[in-house]
Amino acid sequence: MSQQTLATKVGVTRQTIIAIEKDKYSPSLEVAFKISNVFEVPLEEVFSYD
Amino acid sequence: MNFSYKEKSLITSLVVTLLIFGRYFFGVFSNVTATPSEQFDFSDVIRVIILIAILEGIIKWFFSKKDEADLVDERDKLIDTKSYRNSYWTLCIGAWFILMQLLFEASGLWSNAYHTLVFTSPTFIAHLLLLFFVLSEVIHFSTQLFYYRKGV
Repeated sequence: MSQQTLATKVGVTRQTIIAIEKDKYSPSLEVAFKISNVFEVPLEEVFSYD
Repeated sequence: MNFSYKEKSLITSLVVTLLIFGRYFFGVFSNVTATPSEQFDFSDVIRVIILIAILEGIIKWFFSKKDEADLVDERDKLIDTKSYRNSYWTLCIGAWFILMQLLFEASGLWSNAYHTLVFTSPTFIAHLLLLFFVLSEVIHFSTQLFYYRKGV
């Protein structure tokens, strides 16, 4: 899945997806849940707390 | 180095503001000893603001044709909020600086009557206030750019 497709499905910009991937931005719970819903996996499989 | 549309817009705003207002303030403050009527022409300020708006509009339009749509999400709002906070503090410092200058003058501590006349004249104060307004905008643009590049 491309960054743009994920961004569109989640309702954020592609730049925000890039920032999340590079660990430059911690998304809100709402966006985090939306991302995990897109991939149909539990939240903790996508995000972890360091 | 890849820049998003928002980053390009911010760089454009920053450069245009710095160039045009920089030139304007250089002209104003290098001529600070002039008489008040020579120093301040409000139509100059209007001309500068209109020029900035036109230039920014043209350059942003040029970039937006090749780039993504102007969608605003939670990260943009967070960055905007943080940079507005920095901008607010800059403006507060400016307001306090001007207030202290006026209080200092009112207390009669200026040793030189000529300096009192120049540095506390309504014309000079108006320019100083405008300078802090512009400075707070520059802080707003540059901190936004910083957060977009370095993360928030």
